[in-house]
Amino acid sequence: MLVFLFAWEASVRWGGVSPLFLSSPSGVAMRMFHVFADGSIWPNILATANVAAWGAFLAVAVGVPVGVLMGRSLLLRDVLEPFIIAVAAAPIVAFLPLLIIWLGIGATSKIALVFIGSVFVIVINTEAGVRQIDRRLVETARSFTATEMEVLWKIVLPAALPFIVAGMRLAIARVLIMVVVAEFFAATVGLGYMIFQAGSQYDTTLVFVGVVILAGTGVILNALLRAAERRIAPWMHTAETTE
Amino acid sequence: MIEVRGIAHSFDRGNGKEALPVLNGISMTIGDGEFVSFLGPSGCGKTTLLRIIDGLLQPASGEIRIDGAVVRRPAADRAMVFQEFNLLPWRTALKNIELGLELLDVRPAERRGRAEEALHYVGLDKFAKFYPHQLSGGMKQRIGLARALATNPKYLLMDEPFGALDPLVRELLQIDLLKLLEEQSRTIVFVTHSVDEAVFLSDRIVLFRSHPGEILSTIDIDLPKRRWANDEEIKASPEFVHHRQQIWHLLKEQMRRVE
Repeated sequence: MLVFLFAWEASVRWGGVSPLFLSSPSGVAMRMFHVFADGSIWPNILATANVAAWGAFLAVAVGVPVGVLMGRSLLLRDVLEPFIIAVAAAPIVAFLPLLIIWLGIGATSKIALVFIGSVFVIVINTEAGVRQIDRRLVETARSFTATEMEVLWKIVLPAALPFIVAGMRLAIARVLIMVVVAEFFAATVGLGYMIFQAGSQYDTTLVFVGVVILAGTGVILNALLRAAERRIAPWMHTAETTE
Repeated sequence: MIEVRGIAHSFDRGNGKEALPVLNGISMTIGDGEFVSFLGPSGCGKTTLLRIIDGLLQPASGEIRIDGAVVRRPAADRAMVFQEFNLLPWRTALKNIELGLELLDVRPAERRGRAEEALHYVGLDKFAKFYPHQLSGGMKQRIGLARALATNPKYLLMDEPFGALDPLVRELLQIDLLKLLEEQSRTIVFVTHSVDEAVFLSDRIVLFRSHPGEILSTIDIDLPKRRWANDEEIKASPEFVHHRQQIWHLLKEQMRRVE
């Protein structure tokens, strides 16, 4: 990592590569300090965080119950699976023009894109988690007089939780991609908008500032969820995932 | 008292195939305080019969009556101990024991006390906060036993409870089980395919033949009480050896027919 940063810095400083083309680590760091110090970055971060958080929240709030139902009912799985597969395979960004027509150019259409782009990862993982449940544990609960609801809360959900968290971890990257793409096309504020604007003005350094903030967020969230996985499922070495 | 009346059951094999009969014409009565073992080769339906007695499975025909009432579903007067322990990996030993109490709607305040008491019975007080993956097989089954005992069941249904343990641990748990049952009198139905285990533990052994499962014979075991206190002498006694021989003789003929 350090070697890479040094090579980058050196190539711009002494290697004759134009700063316009590559910027430089020191330039990006300076600029980063600057935009935080004068506060000009905050509206963009808040706008992006707002869209990402709502989209991710809705994806979990809808994806987990749907995944659980699909995992418990073969009929529902057969009905919903073609849709899930179609959405997973489609270039979801292509929905954006439609979403803008339906929902306008405000935050709602962007939240919708983030939701569509990440919900199926949650659904697929939750379903896999519910399906892999040891049937003997369900039977054990039944032998102690558990009802269907008790089986769901005390056996199915705890057993599927590591898979759900793994799904959330996989969804992070998709959430960030979707929010940035949405802001490229339809926004007046946000990190994606800032990157797009900076790019069109050949402000390479500011582009990198935006990219570094987004990548850093992704890395930190990923690490947090990984830690959560280990905490909630110490008996599993690594939670299996389907993607 | 458990009354088993004309139980027959078969497993559906799907895609139009003929159903596979697993139990046929099973009737018996198990009195209060008795220790009865179901012994037989695999495929004789003894585990299926235990699940029917618990109410996890409805028989194709016949009925189970417990203290006069027909069994339709699991109830608080019965608790099962499973061969594969079936502990919840995300719960500590103590929380695993509490599961049965939670499902029977015991108040939280009372739950903790009863779970700790059960943990003490099986001698694992120090392991309350351990997770199943941190415990040995023998310890896991002690937790499984404590989970059942904590609900204070009149009938304890044990499905090859020591079958997954290594032979030394297995003998130790047999002794501990008998010791435990001396302190708290319960009716036990115990499924096993170990002749020695059945003879050592039981008051009565129901021998099964397989394909379909039918009762081959019922044998009263007239070994002295408090067998756990002198297990070595009991296992070397002429009575023990005689029962062992008698049972093996009956089983061997049956198995020859099938194998």
